Formats: sequence, C-alpha cells, structure tokens
Amino acid sequence: MLLAFLLCYAGFTALCLATDRHHGELLHSKPMPGRRLGLRAAGWSLLVVAIWPAVAATGWSQGLVEWCAVLMLSALLLVLLLPYRPRLALILAGVGLLASPVAAFAIL
Amino acid sequence: MKEGFRQAMAWLHTWAGLTFGWLLFAIFLTGTLSYFNDEISHWMQPEVQAHPLDDARSLAAAQAYLQQQAPSAARWFITLPDSRDPGLSVMWQDKIDPGKRGNFIQKTLDPVTGQAVQARESMGGEFFYRFHFQLQMPHPWGRWLSTTAAMVMLVALITGIITHKKIFKDFFTFRPRKGQRSWLDGHNAVGVLVLPFHLMITYSSLVIFMSLVMPAPIAASYGNDTRAFFNDVFPATNNAPALGQPGRLLPLGPMYEQARTQWAGGHVGRLTINNPGDVNASVNVFRAGSDRVVHDFGSTVSFNGTTGELLRVSGEQSLPAAISGSFYGLHMGHFAGPVLRWLYFICGLAGTAMIGTGLVIWLGKRQLKHVKTGVMPFELRLVEVLNIASMSGLMIAIAAFFWANRLLPIGLSARSDWEVQTFFIAWGLSLLHAVLRRGRQGWVEQLSLGALLFVSIPLLNALTTSQHLGVSLARGDWAMAGFDLTCFASGVFLTWAAWKMQHRTAPQPKAVRAGSLTLEQEVN
Repeated sequence: MLLAFLLCYAGFTALCLATDRHHGELLHSKPMPGRRLGLRAAGWSLLVVAIWPAVAATGWSQGLVEWCAVLMLSALLLVLLLPYRPRLALILAGVGLLASPVAAFAIL
Repeated sequence: MKEGFRQAMAWLHTWAGLTFGWLLFAIFLTGTLSYFNDEISHWMQPEVQAHPLDDARSLAAAQAYLQQQAPSAARWFITLPDSRDPGLSVMWQDKIDPGKRGNFIQKTLDPVTGQAVQARESMGGEFFYRFHFQLQMPHPWGRWLSTTAAMVMLVALITGIITHKKIFKDFFTFRPRKGQRSWLDGHNAVGVLVLPFHLMITYSSLVIFMSLVMPAPIAASYGNDTRAFFNDVFPATNNAPALGQPGRLLPLGPMYEQARTQWAGGHVGRLTINNPGDVNASVNVFRAGSDRVVHDFGSTVSFNGTTGELLRVSGEQSLPAAISGSFYGLHMGHFAGPVLRWLYFICGLAGTAMIGTGLVIWLGKRQLKHVKTGVMPFELRLVEVLNIASMSGLMIAIAAFFWANRLLPIGLSARSDWEVQTFFIAWGLSLLHAVLRRGRQGWVEQLSLGALLFVSIPLLNALTTSQHLGVSLARGDWAMAGFDLTCFASGVFLTWAAWKMQHRTAPQPKAVRAGSLTLEQEVN
C-alpha cells in the first residue's frame, strides 16, 4: 500500500503543478504548454499505474479499495501541506518517486 | 436558466445541510468511531485478556461451558476470538418465539481457562455502533430517522457537487488564515477529495436498510409474510425443528475443520447450534466477514449435530446479493487490516469535518451582517447554540463516556446503562452551557474541557487499571495502547482548536464586506 501511496502522491503533485496557479506558487513561473501537457500525462499515468501495486499485493477486490483509499488521502495530504509547507510537499513527491523502485522490489 | 438551477440546488444544499447537519455530525463521528468498535470494547473491558489465537482450543472451551451451563437451551451462539476482539463470546437463548426478539444470555469466556471472565459491565464500542443508526430511540424510529438523515446526506452531496462551480480548478486549493474563505476552502477540499468515500458510505447505508426504505418489492411478492422473504434470502436461518428426543451433540472441532476446507482455508466467524440437546440438533458454521470485501450473509456450512453429516453448503451468491453484499462490506470495512482501517477512520473524520465546516459556514456568513450591531437575532443564536452543543458538546460526551467506564464502581447495578446515561447527561449539560454562555466563550470553554478530558485519559487508565501505556506497549497490545494514544492526540487537537478559537482575529468589517460579496455568490 506504501508504493501505491507514493505513486498517487507524486501523481497528484504532477497534476497540481500542471495548473497555472499552483505552478506559479510553487515554482514562481508559468508552465510552458508542452511542460503542462507532460506533467498532466505523467500525473494521470502515475495514478493509473498505482493500481498495480495495490492489486498485486491483495487481489482485485481489496486492492481496488486500497487504491481508492490512498488516492483520496494522498490528495488530501498534498492539499493540506501545500499552503503550510510548499517545499516539503514537493520534496516529499520527489523522495517518494525515488523511493518507489525500492518499494517495488519489496513487492516483487 | 442554468444559473437558476444552480441557485435552486445551492438553496437545497444550504437548508438540507443545516436542518440535518447536527444529527449527521453525530452519526458520522460515532460511525467513524465504530471502525474501532472492537478496540474500544477491549479498552473498556480491560479484564478480557488477549491470548494467542487457537480456534480448536476456543471451540472446545465454549462447547464444554455451554454443555454445562445451558444444556437445554434452544440455541447456542459461539463467536470465536480474532485478532481485534480477544474475547470468546458465547450466547444462548432458552426459548424461541418466532417474530420476537428473544432473551439472550451472553458471557465472555477466557479461551484458555474456559471460565467466564468477570469483566465490568459495559457496552464498549457497541454503544457508538448502535447509536450511529438507532440513535438511542425505540426500535423502528431511530432507524427511520437515521435513514432519513442518510437520504438528506445524499441530497446534500449531490446538490453540493452541482453548486460547486470550480471542482477541477480549485481541486488543490486551500487558503488558510483567510476567515470565511478558508472555511469554505476546507469544506470544499474535504468534500471533493474524499467524495468517493462520502458517496459510498451514504449510498451503502441506504442499501443496508433497503428493506426498511423500500419495502414495496418485498410486499408485492411475499405479502405480509416478510419472514418468508428473509428465510429465502438467508436460508441458513431456516433449520429443522426439534423432535423432542434427547440427543448427544458431537464435538464441534471436526465440523469446524470441514467447513474451512469447503472455503479453501477461509476463516470461521461464528457458529450457531440449534436444539443442542435434541436428536435433531443442527450446527451452522458462518464464515468470518473479515475474509472478503463482498459480504456474504449466507456463507454457511450446516451439519447435523448428532451424526456430523454435512447437510448444506450455501451456494455462490446471486448477483443482486453480491452487489448489496459489496456495499455492506464496503460500509462496514470488516475486511480492513490495521492500515486500511486507519485510512477508513481518517476518511470518516474527513466526512465529519465536512459537515462541521458546513455548519460553521452557514452561521459565519449570516453573522457578518450583524457584526456592527453586535446583536444576534434569535434564529442565528439558536444555530450557534446547536453548533456548539453538537460539535464540542459531543466530544465532551464521548470523553465522559470513557471516564464513566473507568470511574463508575464495578459492582454498580445496571452499570453499562449508567455509562450511556453519563454520555447523554454530559451532552445535555453542554447544551445548557452553550445556552448560558456567549458564542466564543462557549466554544473555548467546551473545547478546553474536551481537551482536558481526552488528554488525561492515558493517565486515568494508568491510575485505574494495570494496563497503562508502559505495560500495553511492552506487551504489544496495540488496541489498548492505540486507544490511549489516540485519545491523547484528540486532546492535543482540541487544545489547538480551543487556542485557535481564543486567539481568532476579530473580523474587520471593511475587508470582510469586500470579500463577502464574492463569497455570497459562491456559497449561497
């Protein structure tokens, strides 16, 4: 469930950066159209890919429930972190992405 | 036309939310606590010791005890201990009157010694669970009211989605320290981000009570004989009658093993033995709900109790049963392990927060108009009093319930009733207090009292039992330790809330007015 959580969190961070307002707040610039598209694609694919570790660990029925749960709560965590600790929110996504291969090996 | 529709939905959202908000807040909070039903019960009955699980030993102990105590009962019920609930629960019923709720005698046994545990009388977490759909009312009325509330909740959710103009644009937006705007942001954030949970929990509660909400299909096919309907849906409850000749019940262990092989290693939750002293005794072995997400009420294997012959194995669920079973399973979350259970709990808290922020917004928006004069009209004052009592008052009541569990004398007669009464007395007093004190002081004082009560629960536990944090953590009794720590954390949170409320910057009329114009259009 940890890996699914890390992927969902990173995915939502990417989607968040794809919006003008949050890109401006976090990185102090407007995203280029290409970059915005890339972030959006990366975000959605991370969210979808996160289904795999959840389902692989506990089967389809429980896996999908777990995926829904981490989907909701990773977004909630991100939104609560953004106004108070914006740097931390970004760093967490980066660290999460870096750590996810390690977490993936733990499942395999 | 479109704006007119949205405005109408906003109106519905506002008023449906207000009228049922207080009740829904209580239902959501107690329902959320019910995810830790067994853990709360464990804390409230510290006499029941946790042992390593051994079903064969538990089953033999239960059978020996019942054989001795209730050989001529009409039915026995045995619920095996599991990782969350350490007690071996046995229950029996002397006579069955069809269509009536019989008198059950329930005992909790120690699975190792096989003796009844002299635990303090307490409803434990079961109280919150029962309250969240029966509301402490006589039989059908509480269920009706809570189902109505669920219906209103569904309406409020759907109208809320329609009213919210910028779901995707404001998806990641939360702007703290901006007064009314922050409350609205928070309301939207917990509402939108946890929306799948809100919809699931609300809709599934209606599915669970569908025979209550929509009895017409049952009435059409079965007439007034609703019993026949339930016998068809749950065939395991339809057992052979007693013959009146004494019989000898075989040991339950082999039947338990045989049932598990039928389920490819699935777990046994409980067993029902009908007419245990009769030649026509029958044993129903029910599968544990924690095995699968899709709940199957009828997942049973039935045996003849005197010959051990396999009578019936329930078949695969029909599709409608699987659908309603999956809603039931998702709502209850019996299948959830520790991590997922905590996620369920957080989702429930998010739902509670959504309702609470909604109530605060309703009042805050209307209070702005009266900031200058400082006089509040009666209806606003009424809402304020109910807000305070339903939110901070409920926290105090819950803490008082836990305190009563530790402080009431063990031998007090009707002790568990007194615990429940303490809960309602504390809640009633908080209402009285909210009436007497002015708004902000009311909030601060009640939140502080709640904070004090919750923060000191680990201390109270240490003083009144031998299960303090040092012991429970060292022994790995996570239910006991987790309860203490969660109470402490809730106390810290309430302290923060009280502090925030005390130091809230007074609203500045000018800035507020400029902001309220845009708010006006968005909130309604």
